[in-house]
Parts: sequence; structure tokens; C-alpha cells
Amino acid sequence: MNRLAALLGWGGIAALGAAAFGVLALSRGETVNAAWLLTAAVCTYAVGYRFYSRFLAARVFGLDDRRATPAERYNNGRDFVPTNKWVLYGHHFAAIAGAGPLVGPVLAAQFGFLPGTLWLVIGVVLGGAVQDFTILCCSLRRNGKSLGQMAKEEVNPAAGAMAMLAVLFIMIILLAVLALIVVNALKASPWGLFTIACTIPIALLMGWWMKVWRPGRVGEASVAGGALLLLALVGGGYVASHPALATIFTHRGIALTGMMVAYGFVASVLPVWMLLCPRDYLSTFLKITTILALAVAILIILPPLKMPALTPFATLGEGPVFAGKLFPFAFITIACGAVSGFHALVASGTTPKMIARESDARFIGYGGMLMESFVGVMAMIAACTLDPGIYFAMNTTPAALAQASQVLGQAGFVVTPDVMGELASRMGETTLIARSGGAPSLAVGMAQIFASATSVLGGTRLTALWYHFAIMFEALFILTTIDTGTRVGRFMLQEIVGHVWPRFGETSWYPSVIAASAVVVAGWGYFLYQGVVDPLGGINSLWPLFGISNQLLAAVALCVGTTILIKMGRQRFAWVTVAPLAWLVTVTMTAGWQKVFSADPRLGFLAHAASLAGSSNPDAGRLIFNDRLNTFVALLFMSVVTVLIGTSLREWWLVLSGRKRAETHEAPYVERAYAAGD
Amino acid sequence: MQRETEGGRGWSKTVKGGQGWLRVLRRILGAPDYQAYLEHCRAGHVPALSEREYVAQFFEAKGKGVRCC
Repeated sequence: MNRLAALLGWGGIAALGAAAFGVLALSRGETVNAAWLLTAAVCTYAVGYRFYSRFLAARVFGLDDRRATPAERYNNGRDFVPTNKWVLYGHHFAAIAGAGPLVGPVLAAQFGFLPGTLWLVIGVVLGGAVQDFTILCCSLRRNGKSLGQMAKEEVNPAAGAMAMLAVLFIMIILLAVLALIVVNALKASPWGLFTIACTIPIALLMGWWMKVWRPGRVGEASVAGGALLLLALVGGGYVASHPALATIFTHRGIALTGMMVAYGFVASVLPVWMLLCPRDYLSTFLKITTILALAVAILIILPPLKMPALTPFATLGEGPVFAGKLFPFAFITIACGAVSGFHALVASGTTPKMIARESDARFIGYGGMLMESFVGVMAMIAACTLDPGIYFAMNTTPAALAQASQVLGQAGFVVTPDVMGELASRMGETTLIARSGGAPSLAVGMAQIFASATSVLGGTRLTALWYHFAIMFEALFILTTIDTGTRVGRFMLQEIVGHVWPRFGETSWYPSVIAASAVVVAGWGYFLYQGVVDPLGGINSLWPLFGISNQLLAAVALCVGTTILIKMGRQRFAWVTVAPLAWLVTVTMTAGWQKVFSADPRLGFLAHAASLAGSSNPDAGRLIFNDRLNTFVALLFMSVVTVLIGTSLREWWLVLSGRKRAETHEAPYVERAYAAGD
Repeated sequence: MQRETEGGRGWSKTVKGGQGWLRVLRRILGAPDYQAYLEHCRAGHVPALSEREYVAQFFEAKGKGVRCC
């Protein structure tokens, strides 16, 4: 009877999900309600979690609750601590979710809501969540080792070194593109800049509170910090309305770039408790509450989607937000939310050291990634509730808009300057035209959703406050990624140089700290500066580069996972990682190739450089140099991953053909001390 | 006492009382928990650090963690 009920129940959920997909796919011309998108996503996650992740946990990895986890064996009360799975779920989610799943879907909305949503939902179930879960399981069985160490031990030492180098380069591109999003959101916005600037003294105060004044009292310090943050948000409105104060906080992109670089450097050099940890607490707190609030608000108002399912840019490939056709660029633009290589660093970092029992890995690794995908779907909904005309006016520079004006006009995606002016004044900004980077349009979408969900409280009058709340929410955790990222990049650089010059590898030797931080900051600062002065807006070339690098890191992680599966003797299940690997390699290599060699100057770096040669543009020399640099970076990523895949393939062949013994570096089996079911 | 942080029974025990909820929130946020650390040291009969030392080491270790995009 129970079996029958389960069969009917799961059959019903699957049918409902399929029906929702049907409604989305068949909608032509009429507006679709966001409810269908939510239903399709949630039903797919439910079926994927119940059936596929169970298969992965039980059959593929054979998770065993009788086996002691690293948290139990090495419990030291600090980083190795057995942790309740719900608590760890929250902790893991806060570490993996950042600006990526919010910004990627907003940019991919250029193709309409359907392609991005399909990729978010299907990609996560078959790819992203599988990657996170696989790496988590592998690290869990290897005392919480990192991805680089596993690549070194399980594939070969060269693969390990290359994986580390790839991570460092990816980090630099990632930090540049995230910093560019913040710069674009804060330029000419005194309200936004004032609020974000206030977070620095607030964080310093919190740091002093929880380290010096009342050691360990993070809760108290966070409550005080949160209250001050809201005060800063309201204060920003006053600053923006006061002409003299507004001038102090109104800056152009280049000045903001200098501030970002200085901030990144200082945060990397200062002790962590001063700035980095308190900021992290504030942003985690804000991240979890805002995402929950957004989910509730979307459920309350169930907004209609104004963006069509597919726009002409999906097939024309001349989109003003970024160039390229749906294949492969939709799959590159949305990296985080569907598949994100970066998660492999978290899944082989803090999380495996805190898992209390092996079977929890399914809920935390697979389930945590499903939640990130859901955040991506919400971002897609927020962007698609905007009128398409407004969306395109906000996300493109005048130069890119002019190039695409004909298609935009034919599709009816046009908007008058009056409408944009009215929108900007409603949001408390001077202008919202050409605010590319995704953050401002997401903020407008969120502000409208929050304002109408709270309309009974007079919420529509609070739209400007909600807009700046959303900007603060995004900027705060992007800055958290920038400071932790710069610091982690600094550690990596110190470790790499430390192999040649041991003194440099000492993470507390000040000359080395300063030199390594300066190199990392200069690396991302350079790409950031070029993005800010780029006439096409920078996001155009940097975001695809970031997407390619992130997906290639996922390919590295899946290679390591496949190698381990084969060495575990589970080769008949190797398709679970090989299938997403093959797909990722196909899309990233196609995208990388097109970005470098496409004959279309809007798409290909080399064609763009050639089109500038001999032009009278005074910046031509600099732009040509950047095109060549971008070409070099893209080719570098592609060749590192090609070599890594080659060495992995060789290893698989040696093991499968019996030429090499299948030896994994799994930690020996130790019986769990607690009784089963405890 | 070690099971305070464990699954199963530990969970329901943790939930009991407002203190328990605060502890859960603190864990999700990734904040130091000196009481839990002391309990751990007592159970394992290992010498414990002072609160200041513990907090300093905790933040130092936290600073090495990655935050994702």
C-alpha cells in the first residue's frame, strides 16, 4: 500500500513538473506566470533528489554510516567538528552561494527566460549537484583533502600542479568580474556608495567587539552591525538628497576601481578578525535572510514574466548584453547555479571536515547545490519581470545598444527616455541607463517584487529603499568574495613561490604577505580597470571568460571524480561524471574557440583586434593589447584543461586495461564510535 | 556531551531551550563556540586553550576558507 502511495505521489510530482515545463515551452506571445517556472523547478529538484541522488549515494559511492568520518576521527573542536546536517547545510550553502547564481541568469535573460531556466534546472540535477556531491564524497573518504591534493595523488603530480595553477588564474578573472559588477552598480550612485562605504567602519567595529572587547561574542556584534547597516541604508537616502554630501559620494568608474583595489589589498594584509571575518558574518546573515524573503515575496505575488520565452538573440547571436548564440553561450553565461567548478573548492575544503556521517553528504552536497540553482531561478524570475525594453536599456552600453537597435526595434523591446527617467527617480538614482553587470537590473526586479509584496504596509513608497537594500545585499557579499578571494589567492601564490624560495612561503612573513597580496590585487585590478574603460562595458568580454574558466574548473573536478570512481572499481557507473564532463568540455571548448577565433569582431577577440588595426581611435593600441591578452588567457585555460583531460584519459586507460593496479588513496576504514541510528 | 553537535538525538537536545537555538544560529553563521570547545576538550581529556586564544585561532582558520562566487 505504501509502495503504491509513493508511486502515485512521485508520479504526480513528475507529471506536474512535466506539465509546468509544457506550459513554459508552449507559451507564445502571452505572458506566463512565474508560478509555472517555480513549479517546474521544484518538481525537477524533488524527483532528482529523491531518485538520482539516492542512486549516487547508495549504488555509485556506497556511502556507509558505519564508517567514521574525518570529523569524528580528527575531532579537534575547531575545524574538524561533527555537525548536525541541517546546520551544516546552512553553513555549506552560505559558502557556495554568492553573486554568480544571481548575475548569470540575469545576463542570460537576453535569450528569454526558457533557455536559462532549462539549463539551471536540468544542469544542476545531472551536472552541478553531481559534481559537488562527488567531490564532497571523495574528500570525505580522504581526510578532507583539497581538490589539488586529490588531483596530485589520484591522477598524477603534474595534474595536481596544473589544477592549482588553473585555480589561481580563475580566481583572478573571477575577482575582476565581480569587482566590475560592484563598480557598475555604485558609479554615480551616492546612496549606494555611502551605504557600502559604511560597511567598512561597521565591520571594523564588529571585529574589535568580537575579538578584543568581548571575545567570541559574534551574535551580539552581528546584531549591532546589522542595526548599523540598516541605519546606513536609510542614511544613504539622506546623503543622496543632500547636494553637498551627494557630491562627496558620487564617483566615476575609474575612481571606484582605485578604491576597490585599495580595499582588496588592505583586507588581504590586515589580520582576518579586523575586517574579513566580521564582513563575512554580516554578509552571510544578509544573504540567508534576503534569499528566504525573496522566495516568500515571489510566492506571495507570483509575478507575470514580461520577457518572452525566447528572444531573437538566441539564434542571431548579436545580443547587446553579450555576443554569441544560445549554444554555447547560454551554458557559459550561467555557470554558478547550474554547474560551478568553484564549489569543488568548498566541497573539498571546510565542509568534508564537518560531516557527522557519510550519508549526510547527499543532503549537503547534492541538496545544497539544488538550493543554489533555486536562487538562480529566482534571479531569472526577478530579471524577467522587468519590461524587456527596460532590461536591455539597463544592461547595455549606448555603443552596444546602437549595434542591436534594429533587432530590438523589431522585437518591440524599446523604451522611451521618459520611462527610464521615471524608473530611475522611483529607485532613487539619477540614471539607470547602461548600468550593465546584472546587479542593478536584479535590484530593480527585486525592489519591485519586495515593494508589491509589502504594498499593504505602504511598500510601493519604499521602492527606492528596497532598490538600495538589494544593491547593498549584492555588493556586500561580492566584497566578501573579493577579500577572501584575494587572501586565498595570496596564500596560493605564497605556496607556489615557496617551493622555490621557502621564506616566501611563510604566510606570516610580512614582506611576502605584502608582495603576494600586491601581485594578486594587481592581477585582478588590471582586468577590472580594462573592463571599466572598455567602450562596450567590459562585462561583454570578462563574463564569458569567467564562465569558461569556472566551467573548465568543473571539468577538472569531474576528471578527478571519474578517475577516483574508476580506481574504486565503479567504472560501470563512471557515466555519472563522464556525461556532464563531456557536455562541459563541448560547450567550453566551443565557446573558447569562438571567443578567440570567430570572424565576427563583436564575438572574436582576434577579429576585434583586427578591426581596430589602423583605426583613428586613440585607444586602439590599448584595446588591441587587451584583445590579445584575453586571447592568451582563454587559450591558456583551454590548454591546461586539455592536458589535464589527456593525463586523466591515460590514467583511465592504464587502469581499465589492467596495465596499472587500481590504487586509490582512500583513508582506511575505521568503525564509527556512535551506535547506528544515533 | 560530545553528541551535542551530532545528528539524531543531539538535534532534539540542541533545539531544547533558547540557548540551543542560539547555538544553532551561531553554527550556521560559522561563529566560534567556546563552550562546545571546552566540552570537547573535557571529553577527550586534552588541555584547553583560553577563550582569547581559542577565538584568535578560530578566526585565523576561518580566514583560510574560500567563499564562492
